[in-house]
Amino acid sequence: MSHHRHHISRRSFLGQASCAAIGSTAFLSTALNLGMINTAAARPHIIGSSGDYKAIVCILLAGGADTFNVLVPTETTEYDDYVTTRSSLALSNDFGLGELLPLNYNDGGRTFAVHGGMSRVRDMFDTGDLAFLANIGTLIEPIVDRDDYYSGLKKLPLGLYSHSDQIMQWQTSVPQDRSAFGVGGRIADILGDMNTIPEISMNISLNGKNRFQAGQQTLEYSINDNATPENIGIDPIPGNYSNNGFLNQVRDQTVDSMVEDVYSNIFQQTYSTLTKQSKESIQLFSTALGKGSPLNTAFSDTGLSRDLSMMAKVINVQQHLGANRQIFFTTFGGWDHHDDVLARQGGMLPVLSNALGEFNEALIEMGLQDKVTTFTISDFARTLTSNGNGSDHAWGGNQMIMGGAVRGREIYGDYPSLHLGDQNVLNLNQRGRMLPTTSVDEFYAEIALWFGVSPNDLGYILPNLCNFYTPSCPSPVPTGYAPIGMFESL
Amino acid sequence: MAKYPLFYLLVISYIYVTAQDTQVVGMGHDTQVTTSSSDGTSQPERTLSRAGFLPNHSAAAKLTSQTTFGANLQTIEEIAMMGYADWVDAQMSLPLGPSMLDQVITYHDYRRVGEGDPDAGTSMNMWDFTWWQYHMTQLDYLRQRVAFALSEIIVISRNSGFGNQPYAFGDYYDILLRHALGNYRDLLEEVTYHPTMGEYLTYINNPKTDTSRNRFPDENYAREIMQLFTIGLFELHPDGTKKVDAQGDPIPTYDNDDISAFSEVFTGLMWGDRDLVLNQFFKGDRSRESYTMPMHMLNEMHEPGTKTLLNGTVIPDRSPVDGDADIQDALDNLFNHPNVGPFIGHLLIQRLVTSNPSPGYISRVAAAFDDNGSGVRGDMKAVVKAILLDDEARACDVVEDTQFGMLREPFVRYVQLCKALNLTTDSGNFRNAMRDVGTQVNQKPFTSPSVFNFFQPDHQPIGPIAEADLVAPEFQIINSQSVIGYMNGLNDWIIRDRPVDEYTLYSGETIPDNERSYFQLADEIALAGDDRIHELVDRLNLVLAHGRLSEPTTQLIIDALKEFPSEDEDDMDQRVRVAIYLVMCAPEFLINR
Repeated sequence: MSHHRHHISRRSFLGQASCAAIGSTAFLSTALNLGMINTAAARPHIIGSSGDYKAIVCILLAGGADTFNVLVPTETTEYDDYVTTRSSLALSNDFGLGELLPLNYNDGGRTFAVHGGMSRVRDMFDTGDLAFLANIGTLIEPIVDRDDYYSGLKKLPLGLYSHSDQIMQWQTSVPQDRSAFGVGGRIADILGDMNTIPEISMNISLNGKNRFQAGQQTLEYSINDNATPENIGIDPIPGNYSNNGFLNQVRDQTVDSMVEDVYSNIFQQTYSTLTKQSKESIQLFSTALGKGSPLNTAFSDTGLSRDLSMMAKVINVQQHLGANRQIFFTTFGGWDHHDDVLARQGGMLPVLSNALGEFNEALIEMGLQDKVTTFTISDFARTLTSNGNGSDHAWGGNQMIMGGAVRGREIYGDYPSLHLGDQNVLNLNQRGRMLPTTSVDEFYAEIALWFGVSPNDLGYILPNLCNFYTPSCPSPVPTGYAPIGMFESL
Repeated sequence: MAKYPLFYLLVISYIYVTAQDTQVVGMGHDTQVTTSSSDGTSQPERTLSRAGFLPNHSAAAKLTSQTTFGANLQTIEEIAMMGYADWVDAQMSLPLGPSMLDQVITYHDYRRVGEGDPDAGTSMNMWDFTWWQYHMTQLDYLRQRVAFALSEIIVISRNSGFGNQPYAFGDYYDILLRHALGNYRDLLEEVTYHPTMGEYLTYINNPKTDTSRNRFPDENYAREIMQLFTIGLFELHPDGTKKVDAQGDPIPTYDNDDISAFSEVFTGLMWGDRDLVLNQFFKGDRSRESYTMPMHMLNEMHEPGTKTLLNGTVIPDRSPVDGDADIQDALDNLFNHPNVGPFIGHLLIQRLVTSNPSPGYISRVAAAFDDNGSGVRGDMKAVVKAILLDDEARACDVVEDTQFGMLREPFVRYVQLCKALNLTTDSGNFRNAMRDVGTQVNQKPFTSPSVFNFFQPDHQPIGPIAEADLVAPEFQIINSQSVIGYMNGLNDWIIRDRPVDEYTLYSGETIPDNERSYFQLADEIALAGDDRIHELVDRLNLVLAHGRLSEPTTQLIIDALKEFPSEDEDDMDQRVRVAIYLVMCAPEFLINR
């Protein structure tokens, strides 16, 4: 183990305390800066300039939400199929009962409703702030129908229908690799130097460590939903210690010395690097948060609303964080409804809907609604058939995308027939598992392009994407590529 | 090892090598030490020079990091006197402590009496207090540590429908304690029939197929018992490496048809306190007592017919239907799968010893799982011994190994602080809701976000660990928030002297003074003066970091402590607390190796 350590005496402590700016922390920050600049120099094709702010917000509905009860077909034949298939899990189309809320949408006779607990989602859909993606799921390459799926000739996602794999693959979009980095992490790898304060990660998590935000050179910055300038730092030694200001410095600088040391053991090195980075970020983050003006938008007292409220506060001080691009992540868990799916979704979907509505309102208040795109992801959708009073793990499902830049009041992709007969070639077995017709890759590709990623870099972010356009791999992304068409600007 | 009777009476004393440096015997410092032994034939000095078979103090302390939630100096000295194998044997022979369920009920009764209300309810504090009381007072350290490891493998969580049921957690944890040093097959069976698992993985009240209603058996438990509790996703060699097919791809252990078959097995189970009749089957009502009775089988709701299990085993078409017999067959099928030894062995090694065990280590542990030496499979005593007494766990030269070790789990660090520094109360009754630690470090028993535990066995943090293609599961819960949270937790627990979260058990109760927790730091305070501060840091290095703090780190801490005043007893107390904080912030402490 090599040691590069200053001998610490009272004099050196005092010295560092009185000229902190040239202390070892500042030196390391400079070194990090240099590292960033070097990487940036190697990537000349970055788009972006100061004042051009955008953020994406990923909400993971962990556990696999039963999204065929979130977006429900209401055209007579389609609704009849829905009722037959879902049986005891079906919601009533007697709108007076409030189990379903019809959407202001008609696509050649096809009509839809959202779950009765999602009035704010319905409102935002109707006003064009929100859209759905129908039957989207993880894929390595296109699979056109059931025969194709069972042919043995197509690559299938690893551990299909299992939580641990599918929740990871929605975050990595690399279903053939259990060790892949996350989509948000790889976007930040590419765009990281658009932000001017490298100590604060582009990727901010309200749910701790996660795969979505992990990149080759990107680590998420994790905050609490109640972060304030005062409560996010290192707590001081209490005031009953005499001369505690000085003693605090002694204590904290000793920790700094230990974590700034170089360790040959890679576990020790990993922990010390993490600690060092966390301590550096905190000071900057705390200062920035203190500069925010309060928002008027009221948020509900639910975990998800608190998370989104905290994101709004961070977005509100983005200029003080030197952030031209931010990627937020949080998890809203508890969707693994093998049991009591109706009652449990009845409790949880209003939480989701209200939180999205409140966040949209806060973004409008800040005048940043066009700059922030929010979307949901989930492990998988659930079997259309019941296991008694719940549903099991399946595949393709329905997700939401929200924001001023999104072409709202649309249902993108192809909402499948819910009939379970042999003629429904998307249904994989008697349980009602839907083969996805839109890939997660296509979805993320559009988000990345809107976010400012160059088409040339999409291959780094989404290595399977070229399987989904023609001419396919290894051809580059076609000019004007926008397979789904979710954004006005693309 | 066990064949050497260890009857040494070592005369161990602290000796001064130089005027200001104190060195502790048994850390490789054997000059000027006088030894004697009672049997007259052995050579205790070999122990001191690390050539013998008695561990030195830091080696003994290392064993405690793998076998306990933290140990004080007395326990470390005990191991140094007894040797590893005898101490492990002694631990294994200790009887099971009091039932956690009974303790929860005791708290509940106390509340009923206190409030004068026989209908007074429960609170989750009753469960938290129970867990803490057991771990602060019982001496079966090894069982406790293995049971906790099992709670992270066969996971249930408060993030669930029974998250406010202390009876459920007490009774489930009793299973883990009971079988931690028992047999894995028994553990599997009790867990399978336990209603908390039945509710957590949703196979309680799980009916047979009814195609007229498009209703099929719930697949949740079928999948997770295979993926997480027994065999894992891929066929394994006995050394834990994946078998591959002709194309070089790993071979899945099961497919969706297997999940279907197992899902049929786990149908028909219902609440143990409900009558075995159809009109009771779908009733969701339950009481707190419901969580303490094994589920029982309503054969009418159990899937009839044959079921093809793994490796070609077929459950016969039993007539009449016999769901319990089907479950026995299915559990036997999984338990006897050759993957279980390497799969579960690997997970236990990761929880107790190191994140990246060698294939040889895994194969030795798997062999002990397969056969304890007397032809018994799944003997947890044999498995745990194989894990702990293996050269890879015991070797001291791993200090030089740049890739060996594991991050100490944040919650375990917290308990370690309390055990190593002799947290005590005057009555022996402890109260701790463990809320602060749960918030600060995102970990306390049974609070994982899902059945996949707080962290997954294959997690790779960015940086040199991922670059070396190694894993470090515990890093999954380490982030900018929890790193700082841990340091602030330390500040709360030791520097601000708020080690526990004490709550009343009923409204209007006053917490008795003799149930207030405090650290016993007199031995440490005696060493806090400038002249003996080396001894203080050496001692903390031993009991907390089992000697892994390097000389420069030790010196750094000593230099910092000397900046703190030492005028009076309060100053000395503060020095000790800051010393503990600093030791526990050191990367050399945080990584156990």
